[in-house]
Amino acid sequence: MLRTTLAGLRAHRLRLLLTSLAIALGVGFIAGTFVLTDTIEAGFTQKFAAAGDRIDVAVFPDSGRRGEEEPSLPAAALEKVRGVDGLAEAQGLVRGTAALLGKDGKAAGDRPTSGISIPEGRLNRTVIAGGAAPRNGGEAVLDEGTAERHGFKVGDTIAVLDAKEVRHEFRLVGLVDLSLDQELVYTGAVGFTTGTAWSMTGAEGFHEIDALAAEGVGQEELRASVAAALGSGVTVKTGEAYAADMARANGADDDVITMGLLMFGLVAMFVAALVIYNTFNILVAQRTREMALLRCIGATRGQVFGSIVLESVVVGLLSSGLGLLLGYGLGAGALAVLSSLDVPLPAVTPSLAPRTIALGLVIGLAVTVGAALLPARSATRVAPIAALRTQVEERVFRTGAVRVVAAALFLVAGAGATVAALSMPVGQAALVVVMAGGSLVFFALLILGPVLVRPLSAFVGWVPRRLFGVPGRLATDNSRRNPKRSATTTVALTVGVTLMTLIAVLTGTLRVTYSAKLDEQFPVDYMVQPQDRGSELSRALAEDLRSRPELTSVVALRGAVAEVGGKGAEYEVGTFTASRDFRPSLESGSIDLLKPGTAVVANYVAEDLGVKVGDRVPVKTAEAGTVELTVVALFDPQRASLSGVTVPEAEFDRYFGQVGDSSIMVNARDGVAFDRARAAVDAAADPYPTAKVASSTEVRSEFDESLDMMLMIITGLLGLSVLISLLGIANTLSLSVHERTRESALLRALGLTRPQLRRMLSVEALILGLIGALVGVALGVVYAWAAARTMTTDVSFQVPVLQILAFVALSGLAGVVAAVLPARRAARASIVGSLASG
Amino acid sequence: MTVTGEVGAWSARESGAPAVVAEGLTKVYGQGDTAVHALRGVDVSFATGAFTAIMGPSGSGKSTLMHCLAGLDTVSSGRVRIGDVELTGLGDKQLTLLRRERIGFIFQAFNLLPTLTAEQNILLPLEIAGRQADRVLFDRVVETVGLRDRLGHKPTELSGGQQQRVAVARALISKPQVIFADEPTGNLDSRSGAEVLSFLRSSVRELGQTIVMVTHDPVAASYADRVVFLRDGGLVSELERPTPQAVLDTLMKLEA
Repeated sequence: MLRTTLAGLRAHRLRLLLTSLAIALGVGFIAGTFVLTDTIEAGFTQKFAAAGDRIDVAVFPDSGRRGEEEPSLPAAALEKVRGVDGLAEAQGLVRGTAALLGKDGKAAGDRPTSGISIPEGRLNRTVIAGGAAPRNGGEAVLDEGTAERHGFKVGDTIAVLDAKEVRHEFRLVGLVDLSLDQELVYTGAVGFTTGTAWSMTGAEGFHEIDALAAEGVGQEELRASVAAALGSGVTVKTGEAYAADMARANGADDDVITMGLLMFGLVAMFVAALVIYNTFNILVAQRTREMALLRCIGATRGQVFGSIVLESVVVGLLSSGLGLLLGYGLGAGALAVLSSLDVPLPAVTPSLAPRTIALGLVIGLAVTVGAALLPARSATRVAPIAALRTQVEERVFRTGAVRVVAAALFLVAGAGATVAALSMPVGQAALVVVMAGGSLVFFALLILGPVLVRPLSAFVGWVPRRLFGVPGRLATDNSRRNPKRSATTTVALTVGVTLMTLIAVLTGTLRVTYSAKLDEQFPVDYMVQPQDRGSELSRALAEDLRSRPELTSVVALRGAVAEVGGKGAEYEVGTFTASRDFRPSLESGSIDLLKPGTAVVANYVAEDLGVKVGDRVPVKTAEAGTVELTVVALFDPQRASLSGVTVPEAEFDRYFGQVGDSSIMVNARDGVAFDRARAAVDAAADPYPTAKVASSTEVRSEFDESLDMMLMIITGLLGLSVLISLLGIANTLSLSVHERTRESALLRALGLTRPQLRRMLSVEALILGLIGALVGVALGVVYAWAAARTMTTDVSFQVPVLQILAFVALSGLAGVVAAVLPARRAARASIVGSLASG
Repeated sequence: MTVTGEVGAWSARESGAPAVVAEGLTKVYGQGDTAVHALRGVDVSFATGAFTAIMGPSGSGKSTLMHCLAGLDTVSSGRVRIGDVELTGLGDKQLTLLRRERIGFIFQAFNLLPTLTAEQNILLPLEIAGRQADRVLFDRVVETVGLRDRLGHKPTELSGGQQQRVAVARALISKPQVIFADEPTGNLDSRSGAEVLSFLRSSVRELGQTIVMVTHDPVAASYADRVVFLRDGGLVSELERPTPQAVLDTLMKLEA
């Protein structure tokens, strides 16, 4: 039997390749994911180990009480460490905020840069990538990313704000590589000598203390004595443990990416399984006579079963091997692309870990063999007598009761779960239930597919029937000729299209919903805020904005944290400067109700405190002691950008003194051009380096860009499963062509031209593609709606019609492309030869 | 040269001009030592409005001759004419259009598309050609072959004889200049076979249809007006108004 199977495989090399490709793509994606993340992780682990090698002991403050300032080690701790026996050297590291100013004199970036100390001597863990470390109070270094983004080179003069927002100038003497510290990568950093770092950041004490052991003293020994000297409240680690911890934390980040990518890999494998299942089914149907002949000459059912399973094992092994190679290439390619995009990656050659190889082979083999089991079983049912029949019988599909009942069960369970989720409170639990419901409904469709293909092909085929004449009509008939086969072929495509539609509709909905919320929260043209959200803007800035004729309705918001309700709970108590056009929407009444001695309160604050309109709430103020305020109205913070407890402007000053503005909302006066208004706002903000101006159009376009980016990436990743399903369409068609050789020859004899025959097959593929796409779009839209409902209240549901039409059109087109080769083969076949062949 | 346009197949039957003419027809498969000469210079013509049978032992080249005459296969040398159209040298597209307009086919098996009903199968050549069916003719043909109550059935619901009758009706409906029938009764029991052959003969007698039939069955051949005999790729003999016995005798002589 083995020899028969292998001979069969050899005889159909091309078909083998097509089938293998489906699995190979899926395995390749999974293997590629591992190659990529393994390589990155290995690189970082190497770097962390190198950094850990430079220190023997590291001391960190234990994290403090919630809401407290960043915990730090007191300066005295360094003296204690330095007093420990067996120590060669110890250094403290300072970290705080020191905002770098860009070349325009405004604070650079969206977040203020960190200010850190660069220790001297052997304990300097920072990798100097160019130039030198700072040696005195007039020198500083920047991390490479920040320097590049803002166009600074070694030798330039840079300006940095200290904690009191006073400007200082430094000579940029070097660039450092901070890629190991995610926090610093995010904020960017300016490095100083330790003393300067203190004075610039206003930080007290140290963020971390590093120590080196004296000759002959072990890491663990030194760690124990340092820990003993410092007592409680600190964590002391050996350099080795420190490196391992950092690598682990970084690995956890990588795991998230790995999981995310693997999800797409699994979708691809699922689609591949459908394709394989279908292919083996067709192979078995096609080789009925071959099987029957084997049975005639004495093969048992078990041997026939075994031969099909063996074939799938060979296919599975070959394609997994191919997939691993593909994965290695993909991983290496992705690394090359990432490094060409200047993503800071450690230079390590990509490697196929034994785990990746094992996993790839196991998944590939399991999916292939698993998908072939059912077809193999049906092969054993071939009766020996079938060998003697001359004509292959048309398989008539009947809707079985089992099928209907199973589909109904899935459908009811899925729909039930979905409906239940919609009545659940908004949140992740509801989303999970909706997705589970969606999966159940999908399986119901999978089971019901053969029943649905008929009406759907009649629907989809309506236009081609009329447009393409006889080829169109024959194609429509052919597309539903073998409903099971058509259903499996199209369902493979449905998977990808459903997920793509889901994502497209969700992002579209998110975009519109966010836009609507933005209009409510950001009902202005410009917003001026301090770069560091916790700090304040001078009140003079709002005054200046009010004085400019291009601008109107300037509203400043300010706030302070205070104890509200007398039970220790703290909320932001704030106010706004009145303006005729500023009418925040309240749940009841209008903002005019706000009088001295009263407050409007966010609904969540009222809920926390258990107060309602008319109640009195005690507020512990900074300057006026505890005051009792009457709640006159509630508001939804998603609809009105006010502090949790909002009081009248003059009262606020009396309670909390001259607090600066936390944000200023500005509108352009009617008829003033965007450029002029923007210039006026910028001019007013210019003297205040930390004042950042944002326009609603900018915020919106940034949001749009990130949404588009996400949509593109996800669609691209899902594209893989669509590609695999196209292989399925090509496979199904080429096998159908093979099955219908004589039919095609008959049609040609009766006067169908070659182009008409090709068109017939293209239209059939088009119909298959469209059926798959339509079901996918319907399912995707419905479940995107359900998912959006569970994610947030008052969604503005939005179907990106053009995008979805594009998906449908592309699916149809892709089907036609998949038909090119089979159609060519069918059209080329000689009529006489085909008529003669069985 | 054009092969489309008005095709008056049945009106030409009085003219006496042959419907199909082959001159010096040769067909060689393969080349060099392995070359097989399926046809070795066949000259034959088939009269309009006549029923001609081509006979010969297995491997005599009768099917190849029919395929070449019908434009299904290319010839190695020689010429074939259907009516006034020279087939040799025509491209695939022109040959296809010629088949569509002027030729009808009846094969031994697998004559019908399984997805179409009997009626749709009968009308298929006309639809492919984009021509309107002549309803009067359709009714007459359907009546002749006795398929009136079977029109809505799919081929799988028809007996073998009924399937061949559908194929006959399909061949007749487009009023082709010639119908080529390749062992049309090969798969049928003798009663169904006799029915189909009677329909073929009556379509020649009553409608003036030209039919060329390949067969190896002397009884089937006896339905024809004339039988031509092939051996080893060459025309060796012919009979006018054959009887089964005469055909059998001639065959015996050829085999000897």
